[in-house]
Amino acid sequence: MEAQENKPKQGYTSGIKPIWCPGCGDFGVQAALLKAFTALGLDRSKIVIVSGIGCSSSMPHPFSTYGIHSLHGRLIPVATGAKLANHELTVIGTGGDGDGYGIGGGHLVHAARRNINITYVIMNNETYGLTTGQTSPTALMGHKTKSTPFGSIESPINPMALAISSGATYVARGFSGDPMQLAELVKNGISHKGFSLIDVFSPCVTFNHDNTYDWFRSRVYKLESENHDPSNLEKALGKAFEDSTTDYKRIPTGLFYKVDRPTYEDLDIALKDGPLAKQPLPTKAQLSEIMAENA
Amino acid sequence: MTSVNVRIAGANGDGVESSGAMLVKVAAKNGMHAFAYRGFQSIIRGGHVWNQVRISDEKLYSHGDGIDILVALNQDSVRNQQSHLNKNAAIIYDPSKINVEGVRSDVKLIKIPLLDIAVQVSGDPIMRNVVAIGAVLKMIGINIDVFNEIVKDMFTRKGEKVVNDNIKAAVTGYNYSGVEKLFEIHGDSKKRYYLDGNTALAIGAYASGCKFYAAYPMTPASGILHWFAAHENKGVLYKQTEDELAAINMTIGAASTGVRSMCGTSGGGFSLMVEALGMAGMLEVPIVVVNSQRTGPSTGLPTKTEQGDLLFVMHASQGEFPRIVIAPGSVEESFTLTSEAFNLADRYQCPVIILMDLYISEHVETIDGFDFDKVIIDRGKIAEKSDGRFKRYLFTEDGVSPRAFPGTPGMEFVAPSDEHDEYGDLVSDALSGIDEYVEVRVKMQNKRMRKIDTMLKNESVFVPKVENEKADYFFVTFGSTVGPVKEAIQILNKSGSNFGLIQFDYIMPLNAGKTEQILANKKLIDVECNFTGQLAHVIKANTGIDINNRILKYDGEAFTGKEIADKAASIIANSK
Ligand SMILES: Cc1ncc(C[n+]2csc(CCOP(=O)(O)OP(=O)(O)O)c2C)c(N)n1
Ligand code: SF4
Repeated sequence: MEAQENKPKQGYTSGIKPIWCPGCGDFGVQAALLKAFTALGLDRSKIVIVSGIGCSSSMPHPFSTYGIHSLHGRLIPVATGAKLANHELTVIGTGGDGDGYGIGGGHLVHAARRNINITYVIMNNETYGLTTGQTSPTALMGHKTKSTPFGSIESPINPMALAISSGATYVARGFSGDPMQLAELVKNGISHKGFSLIDVFSPCVTFNHDNTYDWFRSRVYKLESENHDPSNLEKALGKAFEDSTTDYKRIPTGLFYKVDRPTYEDLDIALKDGPLAKQPLPTKAQLSEIMAENA
Repeated sequence: MTSVNVRIAGANGDGVESSGAMLVKVAAKNGMHAFAYRGFQSIIRGGHVWNQVRISDEKLYSHGDGIDILVALNQDSVRNQQSHLNKNAAIIYDPSKINVEGVRSDVKLIKIPLLDIAVQVSGDPIMRNVVAIGAVLKMIGINIDVFNEIVKDMFTRKGEKVVNDNIKAAVTGYNYSGVEKLFEIHGDSKKRYYLDGNTALAIGAYASGCKFYAAYPMTPASGILHWFAAHENKGVLYKQTEDELAAINMTIGAASTGVRSMCGTSGGGFSLMVEALGMAGMLEVPIVVVNSQRTGPSTGLPTKTEQGDLLFVMHASQGEFPRIVIAPGSVEESFTLTSEAFNLADRYQCPVIILMDLYISEHVETIDGFDFDKVIIDRGKIAEKSDGRFKRYLFTEDGVSPRAFPGTPGMEFVAPSDEHDEYGDLVSDALSGIDEYVEVRVKMQNKRMRKIDTMLKNESVFVPKVENEKADYFFVTFGSTVGPVKEAIQILNKSGSNFGLIQFDYIMPLNAGKTEQILANKKLIDVECNFTGQLAHVIKANTGIDINNRILKYDGEAFTGKEIADKAASIIANSK
């Protein structure tokens, strides 16, 4: 991070420069987030960007919103806690594939089934950037890294299928090389009421020389170009497996699946009178009522 | 003081739990004091379980020694419990089901056909424990009408038949021939509340404005989550999480928005919370974390008590950061210390750990009530506005930087788990090792650690509490062992000794100088439920004072007063 100036912030940017290598895919995601905030005209004091640890997890810093740069793999619970305590906030998760599908993978499934209204953008570079290039849960079979010098022998996670089958209500995939499409996906993800997962191919130009911009560019195509119906669960799941079943010759991007389902905040009886952060202290009468339960 | 110990024993599903609850309620309504403790296992049906209810005309500090009346609901109960029977104790049992051959000759045998009566009056064999409770009431001199009122309270929602069956069963037991009054306990006219430590803790949190509780079920902390879950319609949110990692991280997320937030678990779950505990220290987010200990290590004895996690909670997580560790010594303190925990967390923006254990979490006790007027709420330093970019981690003299909550315009900042400057901008990664930022790191660590000095300067609580200043000998202890120690003191002092108590309730940070003054030149006996004497270790580290006289226990059971008194007497005899 570079030194800051002591000036009140304007717009959504803080002036802090991210630490990313020139050409890192995460710049494209930053641009897309900025575009989405601007298009939606969000109040920056009501945005909280929560990240984990990794190159991609430094995302909150260039923004002049609130942010929590938390622990490796824990952005989902931190974001969930913030949202449950004050559901008037726009809570956005930003992190890497190791963070989200590896160490934090257990949380992802539960956030999805809870349908908590959080937008989670995973910058998927199929490697561990910050720790200098080890294998990742999304690395393809045979991919060679410092930690898999003989090639990866584990089958990669399928983020789209995982999110859909876990109950996420907005499931999309973007590509840093296509900032217009990505900004649109992020914007719609934020507008969507419920848990949104947006997996973004965000190339690591330093440590992943297999899955480069060119590699993706020659394989991705847009679901909307084939009139994919995102409300069709079966079709969405079919599309989720298209990459692996075509040996990664065709990789769909765009909105895979979207469905409307009540959010956790809608259903939790504790939030019926508004955000917890705005609820008053218990009254004397309530306290006596509580004590009477033990008499 | 007169007290009588009633132990109801049987298998899971025999109504052991509900019988104990009925007795406690009767005592509380009748102006008496009660203290109830359970022995149970991690199985849902069968097994051998007991619930011991001690009833007295004075305030009780422990579940007491031995059994005066045993209600044996199965054969195992006689076998497993007979060694605990006090002299002249009584056994209530059903002669058609239970054989009491070999029981000591001083024990009174109260034969009641519990099963036949139950079936006769209600058609349901399950009622046999209620028949026995009726007999117990007669034996301890409690009017059956009080019981009838309680049954109405407890079962009206289940219908008239259930109420009437219970009353008929109890009355038949009460009047059964051969059942006589054996004990005389005089209640006063006060109606008391009855609750366990977990409930008291939850109410303390609620009263102080805690609105968020996250947990993954784990004995013996689950009572807290049950309380919060049951009160979700009263302005608190309970979140059951996928694991304890999620529980504490959600708590940090919630607390970051300004909502008073807490999570709770036992040692195993606390182990999973460790990394995030350090994050709370780094982000300077006030959270309260409950660790209700059970017998360890590892899964240990899930339904038994211990105080083996003290050093663990004091040192858990990498690096160094301010934290507060407090250990309530009673049901009342589970309320008062918890409500204060939130003030301390907010004032010093750090994690506060409440150290409970199975004994204090789960024993039910009668109390006079809580003083809600004494619950003050201090949210600490909060920044309303900022000239220029907000410095969330402002270098201040006392180490505490005013905080702001998302939603407040103009105060936006990023709270990072990486080392950072006053704005929250990272000085890690690209900047670490550069002179200018090395200096920032040192200043920031100094700022955070300065909060410990501020706590010690501004708060008077970080010294042990002394009872009976002029005593010849002092027991040194903490947490749930305080109760049994108080009872040991009563026993010893009644027979002419002069014992006092030194209780460590706010254990970390510790005002080492004042603590040393308090302990110096006193004859000390350390009492703890663990193998190594962890509190003694903390005392030595802070004051240099070595407590060589130690009474330690780690068999899973809580101390009794008599046990401590006997051991103390022999320590003193040996040192003469
Ligand atoms: C508990 C824990 N384990 C390991 C690490 C080390 N670590 C930091 S980032 C990272 C992986 C980064 O990969 P990813 O999440 O995909 O993010 P990227 O850097 O590629 O954006 C690891 C293993 C850590 N910080 N914390
Ligand atoms: S190492 Fe890779 S992921 Fe990290 S900043 Fe550089 S290009 Fe991006």
